[in-house]
Amino acid sequence: MDVSYFKEQLQAKEDMLAQTTNFLVKIQHDLEKNNNELLLANKDIFDSISFAGLIQKSLLPDSDILKIFFKDASYKVIQQIGIGGDTVFIKNTNKGVVFGLLDSTGHGIPAALLSISGTLLLKELMTSMEIDNPQTLLNLLNYQLHKTFDNNKMSIAHKEGVIFSYSSTQNSLTYSSAKGRALLLHQNGEIEELANTKKSIGEQDNTEFELFEISITDGDKLIMYSDGLTDQFGGDKNKKFSRERLKNIVSKRSTEGASSLVNTIEEEFALWKKENIQTDDVSFMIIEF
Amino acid sequence: MTTLNVKGYEFTLENKGAFSSLYFNEQLKMAICFAEEEYIPIDSFKEMFLHISVMIDKTEIKHLVFDKQKLRTFHQPSMEWYFAVWKPSMKSKGLISHYKILPKLIWFEKAVEAGKYEIFQKFSKEILNGITITYVNSIEQAIENSLLNDTKV
Repeated sequence: MDVSYFKEQLQAKEDMLAQTTNFLVKIQHDLEKNNNELLLANKDIFDSISFAGLIQKSLLPDSDILKIFFKDASYKVIQQIGIGGDTVFIKNTNKGVVFGLLDSTGHGIPAALLSISGTLLLKELMTSMEIDNPQTLLNLLNYQLHKTFDNNKMSIAHKEGVIFSYSSTQNSLTYSSAKGRALLLHQNGEIEELANTKKSIGEQDNTEFELFEISITDGDKLIMYSDGLTDQFGGDKNKKFSRERLKNIVSKRSTEGASSLVNTIEEEFALWKKENIQTDDVSFMIIEF
Repeated sequence: MTTLNVKGYEFTLENKGAFSSLYFNEQLKMAICFAEEEYIPIDSFKEMFLHISVMIDKTEIKHLVFDKQKLRTFHQPSMEWYFAVWKPSMKSKGLISHYKILPKLIWFEKAVEAGKYEIFQKFSKEILNGITITYVNSIEQAIENSLLNDTKV
């Protein structure tokens, strides 16, 4: 091969290098541009979710309503992304108060929409039809949710939860529960797990939820919680927080007031979760009689 | 070496130049072109492809494999000529697929990508229409693909 071959090859190499460099610079420029667009879009979405989360938070009821009827009451709702499907329901009646905790399937914006629609339906049932029986409320909520979402081919739009009705005139506490999680903590640290109906709200059109009545004595505490609390992964061995851990915490601190105990559970949850991502929406409410 | 055996198929040497060699198998209707040097000057490049063009007329080649593993310099004008002049006329002659084997060098792959980008800017992506270009890792893989495609047809 003569010198002209190597000269031509050298020129071709220089051209190749220049062309490839320009191409890579263009790719880098495109990537930077796309990255900036993604950052802006992400900020828009994040701001929108944050604001929606604030709106949802402001729709949560005032726990002071419960303090009219009970010694103390408090709750926490910690949505996974600031907005979500867990909610607390409190509404006074002419005989007392109806309260409960509801957990809509999924999390994020769809769960929040489902959560808000459920709360509005419950309020509508209580206001326009003057219903305060928890069994009737859950049965009608189930019918309405199933009718609405199943007709729209969204039969996965379910809720779990528990609704209590307290009558101050009869000093009675009744409840209905759709896979709802609730504990009754006695002053001596003894804990009862409250029974529930093993069906979700909105899953089937003909679900009949059971009505339960519980007797309470002064100093007892009622603890409602969503599965997001007990299913959170964390700790040294990355295990679930678990119902047993929750029962241990409340049992050991049975003398604490409801508000203080709610704060304790929140702290224990944060310590357990540490840097792990929150796996689900979390809510819990404690009533002290 | 006047014959080449790949996967039990014997390819006979049809042409040997200073920068490339060309083999053919009648049964597969496949030609394999090997780059023999780091760089193929454009005149030799054109000469080789024009030779293939004549062979397609004579032997009804359906599949062409270009093994570029020895190349270290990518020549943009040669590539432009291949895409804009040579390739468009080959489909009517019966060539179905063109398999290419690149050197296992990321920088070379990027250089090819950059070259193709320039060509698409200049001629639009419609220049890709016609013969299917497939990048493969080996001649064996090209044979397997062509057998599969022939079965489909």
